[in-house]
Amino acid sequence: MPASERSWVTFTIDGLEVRAPEGEWLLDAAKRGDVEIPYFCYEPKLGAPVGACRMCMVEVEGIPKLQVSCATPVKDGMVVNTQTDRVKEAQNAVVEFLLINHPLDCPVCDKGGECPLQDITFGWGPGRSRFVEKKRNFPKPIALSPLVAIDRERCILCYRCVRFSQEVSEDYHLTFLERADHTFVGTFDGRPYVAPFAGNIIELCPVGALTSTPYRFRARPWEIEDSGSVCTFCPSQCNIKFTVRDERVERVLARQNDDVDNGWLCDKGRYGYQSVHSEQRIDQPLVRDGGMLRPASWERALRTAADGLRKAGAASGAIIGGSTTNEEGYLLQRVFREALGSSNIDSRRGGSLDPRIARMLSRPELQAQVSDLDHATVVLAVATDPLNESPIIDLRVRKAVRRFGAKLIVAAAHPTALDGGATEVLSFKPGGEEAFLRAFAKAMRQIDQSGGAEQEQPRSDRPPEEAGAPPLPGQPELLDFLDHASLDSLSELAGVVAQDVRDAANLLVGAENIVVLWGERLGDGEQGAGALAALADVALLAGLDGGRSSGLIEIPAGTNARGLREVGCLPNMGPGLSAREPGMNTAEIRGAAARGELEALYLLHADPMRNQPDRLSWEAALGNAFVVAHDQFLSESIERHAEVVFPAESYAEKEGTVTHPDGRLQRLRPAIGHPGAVRMEWQVIVELALELGLDLPYLTTGTVLAEIAEQVPFYRGASAEEIGAKGLRWPERELADEALRSLGELRFSAPSEPPPPLEPVDGRPLVVPVASLWASWETERSPALRFLSPKQELRLNPSDAKRLGITHGELARVAANGRAIHATVRLAANARAGWAYLLEGTAEDAANVLTPGGPVAVEITRVSDSEPAPNVALEAGTAGDRT
Amino acid sequence: MSTPTREGILFKHFDTPNRQRIDVYEQLGGYRALGKALTEMTADQVLKELEASGLRGRGGAGFSMGKKASFLRHGEIDKYLCCNADESEPGAFKDRELIHRNPHQLIEGVMIAAYAAGIRHAFIYIRGEYVEQAETLETAVGEASEKGYVGDDILSSGFSCSLVVHRGAGAYICGEETALLDSLEGKRGNPRLRPPFPANQGLYQGPTLINNVETLSNAPHIVLHGAEWFRSFGTEKSPGTKVVSVSGNVQRPGNYEVELGVPSRHIIFDLAGGPPPGRRIKCWFPGGSSSPVLTGEHLDLPYDFEHMAEAGSMLGSGSIIVVDDTVPILSVAMWVAKFYHHESCGKCVPCREGTNWTVQLLKRIDRGEATPMDVDLLMSVQDNIIGNCLCLLGDSMAMPISAMVKHFRPEFEEEIAVRRQAAERVFGGTGAAQAGGTGVAQEEGPDLVAAAGTVPVEGHPHEARVEEEQAPRPGEDEFD
Repeated sequence: MPASERSWVTFTIDGLEVRAPEGEWLLDAAKRGDVEIPYFCYEPKLGAPVGACRMCMVEVEGIPKLQVSCATPVKDGMVVNTQTDRVKEAQNAVVEFLLINHPLDCPVCDKGGECPLQDITFGWGPGRSRFVEKKRNFPKPIALSPLVAIDRERCILCYRCVRFSQEVSEDYHLTFLERADHTFVGTFDGRPYVAPFAGNIIELCPVGALTSTPYRFRARPWEIEDSGSVCTFCPSQCNIKFTVRDERVERVLARQNDDVDNGWLCDKGRYGYQSVHSEQRIDQPLVRDGGMLRPASWERALRTAADGLRKAGAASGAIIGGSTTNEEGYLLQRVFREALGSSNIDSRRGGSLDPRIARMLSRPELQAQVSDLDHATVVLAVATDPLNESPIIDLRVRKAVRRFGAKLIVAAAHPTALDGGATEVLSFKPGGEEAFLRAFAKAMRQIDQSGGAEQEQPRSDRPPEEAGAPPLPGQPELLDFLDHASLDSLSELAGVVAQDVRDAANLLVGAENIVVLWGERLGDGEQGAGALAALADVALLAGLDGGRSSGLIEIPAGTNARGLREVGCLPNMGPGLSAREPGMNTAEIRGAAARGELEALYLLHADPMRNQPDRLSWEAALGNAFVVAHDQFLSESIERHAEVVFPAESYAEKEGTVTHPDGRLQRLRPAIGHPGAVRMEWQVIVELALELGLDLPYLTTGTVLAEIAEQVPFYRGASAEEIGAKGLRWPERELADEALRSLGELRFSAPSEPPPPLEPVDGRPLVVPVASLWASWETERSPALRFLSPKQELRLNPSDAKRLGITHGELARVAANGRAIHATVRLAANARAGWAYLLEGTAEDAANVLTPGGPVAVEITRVSDSEPAPNVALEAGTAGDRT
Repeated sequence: MSTPTREGILFKHFDTPNRQRIDVYEQLGGYRALGKALTEMTADQVLKELEASGLRGRGGAGFSMGKKASFLRHGEIDKYLCCNADESEPGAFKDRELIHRNPHQLIEGVMIAAYAAGIRHAFIYIRGEYVEQAETLETAVGEASEKGYVGDDILSSGFSCSLVVHRGAGAYICGEETALLDSLEGKRGNPRLRPPFPANQGLYQGPTLINNVETLSNAPHIVLHGAEWFRSFGTEKSPGTKVVSVSGNVQRPGNYEVELGVPSRHIIFDLAGGPPPGRRIKCWFPGGSSSPVLTGEHLDLPYDFEHMAEAGSMLGSGSIIVVDDTVPILSVAMWVAKFYHHESCGKCVPCREGTNWTVQLLKRIDRGEATPMDVDLLMSVQDNIIGNCLCLLGDSMAMPISAMVKHFRPEFEEEIAVRRQAAERVFGGTGAAQAGGTGVAQEEGPDLVAAAGTVPVEGHPHEARVEEEQAPRPGEDEFD
């Protein structure tokens, strides 16, 4: 609902006077008077009601026909009856009709016991059927996809799954086929419904028609317990419920939190729980002995690790993975900073952050929250592909565009899943981020000077009382820079069309609510600092610090990236982004270790050989150093190079807090006990500290959180109780002056000419790695998801492919610097000519073999001379002739 | 072709050769109304004239056409006009002839309505099976565009409106206005929940005016001759003429243009020739297969919107289907039920399951497995459908079947008894239920039917043939 305040009305339902916001659907308004109206198809998450099931009919005085309460807005003085004979007859009729073609096989149905059809049949049905004819038959159950089974006999055709596919995930796979009682849910041509969010239809289904293949026949509702927690597979941090039976996680369901996830999950989040019970999990400490990792006692493992680290002292470094909790990260940085005297701690991969920019971007004025997307008039997504980096945000942006009419601007150096729904797509060159943002600022400035946006919208970037306030520091200099810059040359530098930039800026200038999503990779590399400064300038120029629902949301690379930064897991900043003597960042740690300058490395949930750039250099670094690893699985980094391995908890076993990218502290709660000898990770770090002579006096995660709340000014006072089930968003809290001061001030940067991006040479495309939702260990370690684990693919513009004599579906050899990988060619019309895109983090043919960081020029040759597959399809659009 | 007292409005000059060509149409005064509207009248004046004429929608609902057009929001927004030419109701074939013989009359009407409501995009959604008519229309639209009656800056008036002919894909439900919109948008044609009504949020979420072919075909005549002239036809509340499709057991089936308010008997007997000699009218549908049947006692009612509604039925699309005394009522019920079951879109529960159940019940009666209690069940199922559906399709089956049971209950009971006896003769014992179990007996049961000496219930009443020696059924001699 829009943020505008609604007026309240009084209506009468079953003789009871009830107050409700005007225009609320009667079905919801009735709940305010504790009147329950049964329904099947109504689901606010799916958008406008469809009125298909006819179950929710009520009598409204003054209207002759019964009305569907799911689509009747409540009005002042309305008199509604839900208990009259007429209503009951209609309810009985609908239930009887529904059961005509329902098999009533409840005893063998997974849904039995948690089934709305069962409940409503008991509560509102006639209790008997007069139908003695034959029911319809379908083959059953059959696979709608490898993850979802469909039983069409049980289906009551409520439309929910079809609406989800068409109106929420917008994949348009599902539809109704045939007519009348022959109608069934299916896909075109019976193709499998494999899509990133497909699993949500299981939860939406009000009967047992759509069931989870891995959960089928695993438990009955009366044998299970629900346990609320947070998914840590990606920065979306969706709220989830673990279904636990006999100390095993058997299922994951959404725990709806509209400020985080709207009640949706991606399929990785829904099925990735299987990794918890993987046979391959490390469940006891391991120590390398005679070249092999062998089981060891905790005492020995801790002692060996402490000895190695102590010996290295300050010549040690820690790489902290994104799924680490705030408590674990906080404790480890204390161990490194205090017991080892080392500041070589990093939770980012893209280089050190400029503390001033990092603090300013964290200021509450510039922060938006996820639910602000619902009120946004313009959404600008910069350097991010949410579908692959934070999938639930992708759904939220689609919702903003489809349901609330927001205008979407996508600006990225790679094709994104949101391109199709965007009003403007600006595809800049990789490395052209800063140039693009400067061009954008220039276009905004031009529009401002020519008297505002061409469209008539109220300009509300700052509250009027502040209109006369002095300009922010640095503003005159920035405006001066922009006035002397040329939009055309900046655009050309970035590789975008100036008019497109102008059109996009025109959407933004003067818009009421602007949400800017930006990918962490924007700040990667040497040019990252300049790009972040340019982003902050655009945000300030657009007045994001003023609008009520305006602001920035970062899409980070790691799940808890924001929390880890805020608790001090950075080489140059301590807890609360406080200044610290800079240590080495990830890339520097890699370089130093490879050169033999660092003696010990601690990998906390980190697999650098897979997830960091420059795999070969990492191989050398890990080979040189004494490596202590703390993880659930033996990744290549660990198996080949770790001296000591501590078994890590899975997210279902963990207690602690994580921080959502929009600043929301969320609690992880253990659903099951630890397998084998696994111990609480924060305790292991405390014990390691003790071995190193540092006494950390913590008894529970709560006491660790209490100390973090002491140390981080803007977390001050936060407690597990306050965080609760729905999280606690610190930028919304009343912050002490000291906390605000710790985040510096809002000011414009001192800009300089942006650096030029790399250009392809000699017709060799420059290759850039892009994120992939499915390229992750969760996919590989969960049997149900394994089929989605991607093979390496090379996205190419059709013109380049033609020039290289290679086409869609063919296997290519991609080589650079004497190294090569194989990748399947995918033609994409929205890929930039002269550039090519590889997936990041694949299990095989890893892109980081080729790339030492930024883009790299590659030789592309065809591997096989076999004929291209028939039915060559482009990923987007067509591209003329192909060879 | 017989016409009413005067020459008729829509069917005037219908027999002129090459009537569908634009030059012939222009010679007979065509497109003068569009010229008058665009050059001599403001859009508002045209709208007022249409409202004053009292022209009521000819597609079934009978809502004032001018009023409907006036509901559209004013201002520079994308608004749409959809002409509903998805004429698929059994018994209705008037639009087919109106398009076939005089496509330009419709095109002119579309343009006038678009001008009145400030619409710049118009569509004619034509039934998929009307292949020839769609081609005729497309040719005509091409001619009209060439002559500048359709497209940009029509007749140099500054008014522009595009016109696209879109063919349906063979679903009756797409004649329901919101399903038509979904279908036109490229989606599966399913009715939408209302509100929002199409006048507020229709095609592509824009305000949309949806009118029937016959309604729009009247517009040029109203503009040309004025609302007063139009009101001189028909009755006060149902002004104008109506093209009535008469079919079934009549000697001269066809389309007849009559003034609204003439006695129904005049249409059925004087124009369509009444049933074949020696037969009597058993029942008749006054407004297509979805209207509740009337009987012989209703033949003297004036044929207009009000009197048909008062008699418990409706004028609908104005399609009279006559059923004579040789046709068993069970056949008629089965024919209606099967059609609506086949065409139910499956979106809402009462229609989807109710049409299915009704067909199965009637089949059970036919197989000789029903008991007299099943007539009550049949009625109860109809009651559970009526008023509970998302659109009118469910009611369109339930209301005529209810009416049939109401008027011919003894015949239903007799059918049940006769067929049950026949089944027992074939299978012996206590009834057919033993033979095949409930509902799993042969689908059609031809042997049963032969044994019972009754007619097959499949297909159209026209196909029904009856044995000469068959005894009259109860209820037959009640009507003339």
